[in-house]
Amino acid sequence: MSRPAVGGAAVLSSLRRQTWVLAAIVFVVLFAVNAILQPRLLEPAVMTTTLQTALPLILIAIGQTYVVLAGDIDLSVGSIVSLVNVSVVTLFMAWGDGPLGILGAMAAGIAIGVACGVANGIAVAVLRFQPIVATFATAIVIAGIALWVLPQAGGQAPTPYWRTYMGGLAGIGVVVWITLAALAFVLVFQRSRFYAQLMAVGGQRQAAYQSGLPVMGHRIRAYALSGLFAGLTALCLTAETASGDPLSGQALTLQSVTAVVLGGTALAGGIGGAVGSMIGAVVLILIRNLIFFARLPFEVQALVEGLIILAVLAGGVLMTRRAAR
Amino acid sequence: MAMTNPSPSPRPAGGASLQVREATKRFGHVVALSRGDLPLANGEVHALVGSNGCGKSTLCKIIAGSVRPDSGTITLDGETVHFASPHDAEAAGVGIFYQELSLIPQRTVAQNLSLGREPRRGGFLVDRKAERQRAEALLALFEGVGGAGLTPHALVADLTVDQRQIVEILKVVAAEPRIMIFDEATAALDRDQTAVFFDLLRKWKGEGHSIVFITHRMDEIFAIADRITVMRDGVSVMTLDAEATSREEIVAGMVGETGQVRSAAHRTSGEMAAGESALEITDLRVGRVDGVTFTAHRGEIVGLGGLQGQGQSTLLRALFGALPWRDGRVSLDGVALRHRTPSAAMAHGFAYISGDRRRDGVFDIRPIFENAVAASLTAGRQPIVLRNRLIAQVSPVIDRLKLRFAGYGQPVGELSGGNQQKVVVARWLGIRPRVLLLDDPTKGIDLGAKADLYEELARLSAEGTVILLYSSEDAELLSVADRILVFNSGRIVRTLSGEEKTSHALTGAAFDTAAT
Repeated sequence: MSRPAVGGAAVLSSLRRQTWVLAAIVFVVLFAVNAILQPRLLEPAVMTTTLQTALPLILIAIGQTYVVLAGDIDLSVGSIVSLVNVSVVTLFMAWGDGPLGILGAMAAGIAIGVACGVANGIAVAVLRFQPIVATFATAIVIAGIALWVLPQAGGQAPTPYWRTYMGGLAGIGVVVWITLAALAFVLVFQRSRFYAQLMAVGGQRQAAYQSGLPVMGHRIRAYALSGLFAGLTALCLTAETASGDPLSGQALTLQSVTAVVLGGTALAGGIGGAVGSMIGAVVLILIRNLIFFARLPFEVQALVEGLIILAVLAGGVLMTRRAAR
Repeated sequence: MAMTNPSPSPRPAGGASLQVREATKRFGHVVALSRGDLPLANGEVHALVGSNGCGKSTLCKIIAGSVRPDSGTITLDGETVHFASPHDAEAAGVGIFYQELSLIPQRTVAQNLSLGREPRRGGFLVDRKAERQRAEALLALFEGVGGAGLTPHALVADLTVDQRQIVEILKVVAAEPRIMIFDEATAALDRDQTAVFFDLLRKWKGEGHSIVFITHRMDEIFAIADRITVMRDGVSVMTLDAEATSREEIVAGMVGETGQVRSAAHRTSGEMAAGESALEITDLRVGRVDGVTFTAHRGEIVGLGGLQGQGQSTLLRALFGALPWRDGRVSLDGVALRHRTPSAAMAHGFAYISGDRRRDGVFDIRPIFENAVAASLTAGRQPIVLRNRLIAQVSPVIDRLKLRFAGYGQPVGELSGGNQQKVVVARWLGIRPRVLLLDDPTKGIDLGAKADLYEELARLSAEGTVILLYSSEDAELLSVADRILVFNSGRIVRTLSGEEKTSHALTGAAFDTAAT
């Protein structure tokens, strides 16, 4: 009689380590409900379009995950997206739409994102500012620079750039390839030594320091990764809108944190992973889709969206409680 | 440091000699170390002894690079060295076991054992197979005494305290240091585990490693040490040869001029039986506790004995409302109780003092004042904090416990472990409890502080307080408790009082049924 109980406990205990499981279950349910309300969702073209909507959030949530795993938080990711977006569009217009100009602007955009991340990391890990307030403040500074670069929405991304992004490769949408590449990165990266040490830094910072880990360096590197992914997010967003907007990233900051938490990563650090955040990001987009296709009156849409997110969070709490028993 | 060899044995290149001379360190206004000397010879086990707050841990942390000395020199094999971080010290071959465990609870045993030295695959990936094999090889050193669930794949958070301590020991060994420092590494280990650990220490010593060993148990010092450095009040007072010294000499060095430890006044059980019954527990079941029945009298000190983790702590936590009980009855002075939270238990006059300060006791960064009056505040329910009146309530206890502190505004985290525990004790004695629950309250505190606590217990029991005491030290139970209930697998297997209350009977009763 004790055997099945022990087996069940073992399953629960391993579920507890696979923190993304709940998000995956929610994803399946939401996808099914979505497909019922909107049968066309199952068509490859519609799926690709849905993924295209979700991709910026997926990428930015991946970067946020690494900062959160290290026990910090990055509230500047949205502003970094805005800054990279306006910078890249401005450079596109300056450097023309030849392949060198396009690639050069993209590289510059990524470099700006990483530089912002490193600055955040130094403020938090070296100067020891509180992460929430420090990145809130750098968010304002970075958003200010974005407004200075491009005071008003406008500009034009070169046609080959956004055409490529919207197009396909070997019969499959480029956005799908980007998502797969991101997933491959996440899966390989979480087997790296750096990742193992990052989890230790987020799990118990003092213990990690006493174990001889470069705690300061790892925290800065996590912020740099977050900046890198914010830069990638901006490149996708630029291709999607084909123009620059100094406010384009605003809403993404808190959405990225929500996606990370829905994906099972603990805000205290040390527990979770970026696969969960990717699923969490898609879940957030599906919730919005669902509300749209359920034809709810406009006035109650936000209310219902918030309630569904709260319900998913409550499910996560219940599941961890049961697993802890 | 490339480590392809998963061999559990530290590098055979041998040890090193290390000299610390006149090291000093202050934290804020507290002098932690005023003259720390340590002559560690190649291939010896060197015991470092002294009461709590005498500077042993600070001295060790200086050697390990996690605390920087204000002055003083360290020489390693004759050359002066400066360790700016634990990383530097590790690179020089110094490995330390931290009293406050340095494990990451969310990670597995294997991941913790290779933390910072993960075996590589393809340049930057972790070779998980090698990581697991290395963990297996290390765990094999404690084979047979590690207990269930101590596997490379287990999460550290799911391990018991002794298992975590074993992992912490192995983590030191995994780095293959030439100099190993074990700061109270045996505190949570049972007898068999300690025996295995000592065999390993002897083996490593034979291979030429130099070992610094800190313990509060005199037997262990003589069992393992070659030389002994005694510290008192931040000063290394003497270094002795274990062969040529005695307990008396070491104790005299530790306590200085001011006399020996007094043991609590001994009372016969006959006196106690006369007292009225106060706390009645009938068939209580909760967690590990599997049907416990007993009555404690007013003014009686009831000891809960037996091996670690047989339900003693669970019982105490349940009575305090921290682990609500499922079945059974509890009554105090004839009134049935069914409290489910610590605050309800406090309203009935219960107080709970745990030896696990970090989990149950101190608010680290808050001042001594807030720490000392926390219980009085809750029990009194005054809307306004009257600082002076509250201090007047706790200061007699603080004085009697001889707390050494700079002022009530000092953060409690600046005190040594033993002094922090005194603040916790003062917090609970300040509310004059009717029932005092003690959960290994003297864990890691020094002999002088223990004696002060015992005196307080005697005073409380004279006033009629019911005291339940669990202790991991048999000697403490034997000298303090009027009656000892021996626990095994959640039940009381024997009650020892009067003549039967001997070390022999207690050990016998604890191990008797444990074998089955």
